[in-house]
Amino acid sequence: MGGLKRKSSSNAKTLAKSKKKKGPHLPNSILKVIASQKRPLNSDEEEDDDAIDSDDEHGGDLYEYEEGVPEEESRKNNRYDRHDNYDYELPEDFEDENVESEDDVNSENDEDDDRHTRMLQSLTGMPSAAFEGESKSKPVLFTEAYPEGEFNPTRDVLEGKNVLTEEDFLAPLEGKPGYHKTSKQIARMRKDTKHVVHAPLPKPQRERLERKAVIGLVDGEFSKWVHLVKKNREAPTVYFNQDVDLGYSTVGAIASEFQPRTEFEKKMASVLNDSEVSEAHRDDGARLLELNEVSMEDHIKNRDHIAKMRSLLFRHELKSKRIKKIKSKTYHRLKNKDLKNSSLGALLDPEMAKEEAMRQEAKRVEERMTLKHKNTGKWAKRMITRGLNVKYDGTRAAIAEQLQMNANLSRKMNSMRDGSSSDESDDEEELNDGSDEDTASRLIAKAKEKTLKTMEDDGVPNAGLMSLPFMARAMKKKNEEANEEAKRALEEYEEWENSGGENSKKPVSVSGRRVFGATAKVEAPKESKKDSDNFYDSSDSDNDMAGIEDNDMEDIRDNASPAKNTNRNITETEKFDDVAGNPASKTTFDVAMFTSGSWKKMAGCKNTESKKESKKTRVPISRDQDKKGSRDEESEDSESEAEQMVDGVLTSGSKETFEIPSQAELINRAFAGDDVLDEFEKDKEEVLNLEVPKPEKPVLVPGWGNWTNIQRKIGISKRMVMEHEAEEKERKLKLKTRKDARLKHVIISEKVDKKAEKLHTTTLPFPHTSKEVFEHSMRMPIGPEFNPSTVVRELNRPEVVKKTGVIIKPVKFEEVNPNDEVDDEHPRNHQKQRPKKKTGKRQGQVKSKDESYKFLIPWE
Amino acid sequence: MEVALEDNNLMEKVLPPDEQEIDVELEAKEKKYLRGEGANLESVKDKKLKTQLASREKLYGKSAKAAAKIEKWLLPASAGYLETDGLEKTWRIKQTDIAKEVDLLSSRNQYDIVLPDFGPYNLDFTASGRHMLAGGRKGHLALVDMMNMNLIKEIHVRETVRDVAFLHNDQFFAAAQKKYSYIYARDGTEIHCLKERGPVARLRFLKNHFLLASVNKIGQLHYQDVTYGDMVASIRTGKGRTDVMEVNPYNGVVALGHSGGTVTMWKPTSQAPLVQMQCHPGPVSAVAFHPNGHLMATSGKERKVKIWDLRKFEEVQTIHGFHAKTLSFSQKGLLAAGTGSFVQILGDSSGGGYSRYMSHPMVKGYQVEKVMFRPYEDVLGIGHSMGWSSVLIPGSGEPNFDSWVANPFETSKQRREKEVHLLLDKLPPETIMLDPSKIGAMRPSRRKEKPTRGEIEAEKEVAIEAAKSVEMKKKTKGRNKPSKRTKKKKELVENAKKTFPELEEKNIAGKKRRIGEDAAAELPTSLKRFARKN
Repeated sequence: MGGLKRKSSSNAKTLAKSKKKKGPHLPNSILKVIASQKRPLNSDEEEDDDAIDSDDEHGGDLYEYEEGVPEEESRKNNRYDRHDNYDYELPEDFEDENVESEDDVNSENDEDDDRHTRMLQSLTGMPSAAFEGESKSKPVLFTEAYPEGEFNPTRDVLEGKNVLTEEDFLAPLEGKPGYHKTSKQIARMRKDTKHVVHAPLPKPQRERLERKAVIGLVDGEFSKWVHLVKKNREAPTVYFNQDVDLGYSTVGAIASEFQPRTEFEKKMASVLNDSEVSEAHRDDGARLLELNEVSMEDHIKNRDHIAKMRSLLFRHELKSKRIKKIKSKTYHRLKNKDLKNSSLGALLDPEMAKEEAMRQEAKRVEERMTLKHKNTGKWAKRMITRGLNVKYDGTRAAIAEQLQMNANLSRKMNSMRDGSSSDESDDEEELNDGSDEDTASRLIAKAKEKTLKTMEDDGVPNAGLMSLPFMARAMKKKNEEANEEAKRALEEYEEWENSGGENSKKPVSVSGRRVFGATAKVEAPKESKKDSDNFYDSSDSDNDMAGIEDNDMEDIRDNASPAKNTNRNITETEKFDDVAGNPASKTTFDVAMFTSGSWKKMAGCKNTESKKESKKTRVPISRDQDKKGSRDEESEDSESEAEQMVDGVLTSGSKETFEIPSQAELINRAFAGDDVLDEFEKDKEEVLNLEVPKPEKPVLVPGWGNWTNIQRKIGISKRMVMEHEAEEKERKLKLKTRKDARLKHVIISEKVDKKAEKLHTTTLPFPHTSKEVFEHSMRMPIGPEFNPSTVVRELNRPEVVKKTGVIIKPVKFEEVNPNDEVDDEHPRNHQKQRPKKKTGKRQGQVKSKDESYKFLIPWE
Repeated sequence: MEVALEDNNLMEKVLPPDEQEIDVELEAKEKKYLRGEGANLESVKDKKLKTQLASREKLYGKSAKAAAKIEKWLLPASAGYLETDGLEKTWRIKQTDIAKEVDLLSSRNQYDIVLPDFGPYNLDFTASGRHMLAGGRKGHLALVDMMNMNLIKEIHVRETVRDVAFLHNDQFFAAAQKKYSYIYARDGTEIHCLKERGPVARLRFLKNHFLLASVNKIGQLHYQDVTYGDMVASIRTGKGRTDVMEVNPYNGVVALGHSGGTVTMWKPTSQAPLVQMQCHPGPVSAVAFHPNGHLMATSGKERKVKIWDLRKFEEVQTIHGFHAKTLSFSQKGLLAAGTGSFVQILGDSSGGGYSRYMSHPMVKGYQVEKVMFRPYEDVLGIGHSMGWSSVLIPGSGEPNFDSWVANPFETSKQRREKEVHLLLDKLPPETIMLDPSKIGAMRPSRRKEKPTRGEIEAEKEVAIEAAKSVEMKKKTKGRNKPSKRTKKKKELVENAKKTFPELEEKNIAGKKRRIGEDAAAELPTSLKRFARKN
């Protein structure tokens, strides 16, 4: 019932309010009607009124509708015409007579209540007080929108009223026992300011203080890292391969760390580290013998053990010998059967092994051909398709077995192959040995070795059945015979060996002589070299001045008469063939530069030299020889010639040689400089026009814009003229900025080469912002071809140097002098941290947190 | 007079080392190895990059220092020189005088080989200077080992040989013959006949690119890759016939000299010349490049030799008084010029420009066809109408060879390995450019003529998005109608679209055409024949 009541009350509240205060201007009668319609029950009205009362008391918490002044009346913006308000306005203190006053309502309500209680009293027979409390004393609860707290204080607190004091608490206790005492205590407490516990500071303030304290400390902690981080950041290369302990480097180092663990090792260690032993070693070793003494018991024990082993061995020997001698067929049949069944047998008997291998091989081949066991059979397929292999363990096992078999059979048979190949190689070796004469001794040695082996082998036959005594006896006999034979063979071998060593030396020496012969051949070519030297040193002055031809003339001849040319060519080639046949005799040599008189001496020198050489070479050049005879004459000749030439040179030095140029050339020269420059200028103009095109001149097109006289008078529109001028200006600017703008005699093409564009970058690489800086930084090549090897490595060192698998440790604190420059040298002792911003920061944050925790603890 | 050839310090006096001098020398060398200066790190804002670059730069400095020290102290041989005392002039010194002073081995490099029958001889040396190829005009080809003066092979091709050139090593050589050019092996067997190029006037081989460049009689320039035989480029120069052609060893650019006095420079990837220079008023008779690629020497028929700086394309020096039929720079920068029967060597000893260094008169009447310095030796080879000669020019050759670059004492195994390395390191033809150090740098910004369609569309979309997302002001009651708001927004978007008119126009044109077609379909049959046919 309470819930219902409250709902209705809230409805009524708004209505009542509107009625009471402002709200829309509805006539009271209408309001009443609405109210009555909504609340048919009379009894509810009482509560409604109560609610209204309480509303008034608390006030302001509920929404009120405020009707604004109508726009006409407010006269804002002067939008409406001004007019006086002719409506009748009620005076402010006017009271409507028809409306019941609130007091009346209350009294009425009281009356109703009385009646109600009386009724209840008569019905229940209980005192009226009980009902009164139920109906009246129950206050209406208005819960606050927010819980009471420091941010949402009650009104009392805000106004400073009704604050509780000690007196308030004490007042009810007055007169009660102990009051005096407590009041005294309180008084004392008031006076005492020392032990007052103040209220804790508000949270934000408290935190601010905390932060302040922490910042000071953390700053100090951080600032010491700054230099280190800066240094790492600036380092061109960071190394992470320092401080890496890769363990021991030498065997000795490893051995020194050895700790005996097993019993044996411990024993050994105790012996080895025995001070007595080591001392004995250090002295003269005489005491070692004493220390090495074996006790009698140990000796006997050892001897017995050996004897036992020997006897066992001997018995086994006898057994096997005897078994080998058995001739009984049944026995052998049984034995073979046993062997066949056991894989060991196959290994022992070579023939059987071979047979077995063949069989196995055939099986393998068959398997590989048919793939019979790869679950390709009918049954297996069926099983697999129906999923029976999963269902039943038996089938699964069977299929797995088949697969296993297949794997076994189709596996490459390594063991067999290896055996055969090794055999082959052995054979080859033997063959080689046989073919080689020098290695006879080795062969003998081998034979010897084999016989020795057989001798030893004979002693240990291995057979399964050796229980028959006749076999043992026979075996022994045979063994002795064989041994004797082997001994004899050995003696023979030794004899051969001794003789063979002498024999084998001979062929070796022969081969050596052969080699020697080959080396002797090498010396030959030296002589021919001298020959060639002589070829150019020998100086023949056989000048044929007639052969000189004018260059240009010859050109003309070449072009004019091809037929003649070919003829000549043929003759020339004939000559040439001769030349090719004997170049030394045909080609002639001339020393035109030896012009002064001092040549004589030189020639003399050379003459003697060449004589010597010619003696050596024994390749007489007929002409040369002739010349030698008449050397003096010739040199005189050359001298005279030289004088002539000297004249020529002197004149040419000052005047220069001059030959009559051809007619065409003369004409060319005569008219050369006339128009060439003009032509070039024209060319340049053309090129410029091509590369920086001239703007079109604005022209009046007939029929466009010149129909009337006025139009004609105006002429070309101003806009067009202006545009043209602007274009012209632009062109001039372009021409001015060209490289060849100031060079009259040069045209430098500024065409863009599209193919070469890919050799340039379109954008600057990231950290660069200026083109100049980038290009300057690119000017030096860093390859090994362009730099000394001492610097190449440094130039090409990566940003981070690290060994694979090395754990990168976090940066360690170390003192860094901030004034030190960053050195590119490879650091030896310490590990640097990569200069990455992120890691540094993150570490910093973590650190600060830790610190702050520390500082927070005393506060809490 | 003092003469010293490389590897030969007979005349050298050991002076007590002056520390300062050494320092200066080392510094100069270090600078050379630093290849220019480092960037100004002050302008770099990124701290990390700054430190990185600084450490790099330090390493570069270290490398350069080490290299300079190695060059200073560890190189085995010193360059040759020619010193005169008093009034004696270096150019008055004759070969005979030199012959007296030098050791026996060097004096062997002075000789004339007279082959009067087969006309003026063209020469070519291998990169190591070990082998020489001589091509007589009238068909005589000879391959000579210069170390031991061994004639390796001599063949006669029975037709005009205009030029000869070694390929990457002594195993192959090319000869420009009357109609075609051919490639021969070392033993004289003909391997290829290069018919595509026509009658070739000059042949040059680009070592790093494996390209055989040639210019033919009608002025066409051909580049052929000798590794797989493809014709990489054939360019019509359009400047007429020329037989002046040289390769810039620094960047592989081919220079041609023309009859109009222009020198044009070419690369295989462009049909237009990289550079055209008006060098002489008359025809250009010879061109040569300094090994460092910065200097070019040209000679015109108007009796002038000019030296050009190729970094600025400006004339550095004009030498009056003679014209050269053939020019050649030595490894150390001496310039040899041959005219008629006279060879002159110019040197830049003081740094103030080229002046007479030595001269060598041939026998009167000999016509010099080609002069070429032998690499790694102080020797000048002269091909002339009566064979070829060899003279000593002290201080012309690089004294120390790098066996990884060119080894005169190469074994066959080394040669094979080198060949493989060369092939692996072969540069593609597009790497030929005026400044190869720009490879890997930023692409030179191209002036944009017109943005592409895609770019325009993207831009448009961005503009429209921006227009859509504009926040409208909240206006007073009556003016804040949603219909008005949407209208306004639409207007904004329309305005944004209007700034990109091209696309719209195209669409309109397409629409128009469609409309025309429709109209044609709707026309009555009698009028249909007047409809525009598309």
